[in-house]
Amino acid sequence: MQTPIEGSLPVAPDALSLPIIYLDNEELQSFLLSEAPTASGIAYEWEGEKVVHLHLNPVTHAFGTSAKVLFARSMPASPADAAYVVVVNPDAGPKVFISGEDGFKEHPASLIPARSELFSRSKGILEVGALADKRVMIVGLGSFGSQIAIELAKAGVGSFALMDFDRVELHNLMRHTCVLNELGRLKTDAIRDAILGKNPYAEVDRFPININRHLDLMAEEVRKADIVICATDNNESRFNLSKTLVEQGRIGIFGRAVTRAEGGDVFIYRPGGACYCCLIGNGWFGQGDEEITDEASARRDGRIASYMSAQDADAVVQVGLSSDIEPICNMMVKLTLVELSRGIDTGISSLENELVYNYYMWANRRERRHANWAPMPSAGAMPTIMRWYGAHIKRDEDCALCGVQAALDTNAPDEDLALLEEISRMNAEAGE
Amino acid sequence: MLDQQRYQMENEVLSTYLPSTAYRFMDMHTANPYLVMGVMTNHGKAYTIRIDLANYPQNVPEVYVTKMLRTKDGAVMDSPSAAMHTLSTKYGFTRICHYGSASWSYRVSLYKIYIKCRLWLEIYELHLKTGKPMDYYLNHQR
Repeated sequence: MQTPIEGSLPVAPDALSLPIIYLDNEELQSFLLSEAPTASGIAYEWEGEKVVHLHLNPVTHAFGTSAKVLFARSMPASPADAAYVVVVNPDAGPKVFISGEDGFKEHPASLIPARSELFSRSKGILEVGALADKRVMIVGLGSFGSQIAIELAKAGVGSFALMDFDRVELHNLMRHTCVLNELGRLKTDAIRDAILGKNPYAEVDRFPININRHLDLMAEEVRKADIVICATDNNESRFNLSKTLVEQGRIGIFGRAVTRAEGGDVFIYRPGGACYCCLIGNGWFGQGDEEITDEASARRDGRIASYMSAQDADAVVQVGLSSDIEPICNMMVKLTLVELSRGIDTGISSLENELVYNYYMWANRRERRHANWAPMPSAGAMPTIMRWYGAHIKRDEDCALCGVQAALDTNAPDEDLALLEEISRMNAEAGE
Repeated sequence: MLDQQRYQMENEVLSTYLPSTAYRFMDMHTANPYLVMGVMTNHGKAYTIRIDLANYPQNVPEVYVTKMLRTKDGAVMDSPSAAMHTLSTKYGFTRICHYGSASWSYRVSLYKIYIKCRLWLEIYELHLKTGKPMDYYLNHQR
């Protein structure tokens, strides 16, 4: 594709040459390549700030007020009701004209960088376009999933499948990437817009569904993805995803925070290794410690029993700070980038020698399960606060999900058997 | 939802511990499969339980005693009660609380749930005799 436009604009405007105007480089090129003499576009202005972005195509993550802009190959005699005219000439470069009382006057503009320039700052770490063909599926777009999605977009991941049936709600807004004026939006729509705001070339497919009720669709999307991120808050979806990952031999990353985000952990399933079911119940992963951030969803999936009073439930819902879950999200992003970069010569590949574990623990504060962890200066190789601790979780040969000799848990625990005996005794004592 | 492999494993376990007449899988090719089991308590009283399998083994299955039970005081057991280990009703049956979500694992077999139900029913009968709430005898699981 020819690139006659770059560097041919006037000097970027400063504060004295308001409004500040931006043009989309790739849109200009597509207009040049078309046969059309003119084309209508949209000018989006940040209201009251005199900052205007001129677009040939509608922007889904639009903002502020909008006005008409006309793209033409030469200045038209009568630009009709357009507020802006962009004259695109391959020899002279684009010129922007603004409608005023004295007719149209030329004004300097800057270019929104083309795809090739968008990630130029990542050179040496992640080469431009290295991840453009990679597809990431993210299940759960809460405080974890939303941040991870945007970080991956910033790293240049080119394709996303977003799954979440929830809408943006007030209760968790302070940990979420969405802002107040997005309350009520589907999370899939809001995060799609946030991704496109960072990487307008990304392909984003939205699935506002509960994966537990759409297992076939979930499995179909897992098949298309290079990696799957499970950022949900319940085990039903984790087990369903885990089963599909095992069946399809796909990589999956699971992350969570423990109560009030005093810490958290990240688990990565690599085909042939331990699965999420192997992890559960082996002592490393305490399900009861998991953070509950939303009473309604916790009641829905049984994490808060229906007989629990509103007051008791309120005590169970304990949400930590956004800064406390950031390290956990960041680890999930890093693991994702390392897995996506395998076989590609990038600066991030060196992490392959570091992130060799399949389970990582993080503690933000010395509380409860982390209360006895040694202080950082004397911890040595042991777990401590604010430092990742990796562990190899072995595959369970008897795992009910992935085991070579899959077996079910059938033994009645000792306390159950003891209780049965006790009840028999009490029943006898109580008489008929 | 139970896949074929898990279904066979569960069947194998149940047939090891129970007579084949004591349980039956129902509507297995629908969106709402369930298992019906007969339970005999120490005092020889027979109950039927229904285990909904739509979300099993990924999540704790809903379990019902296939009639509306009453407390010693005669109150119907149709609503969530921590004291009586019951949850919201469906089908007009008493729904029992058998496993806590935080204690749940993918590997928990239907046979283990059967054991929990048996425990629940034994304690229910004890409640009928003594009038003490069921959680006097049965701790709450997380």
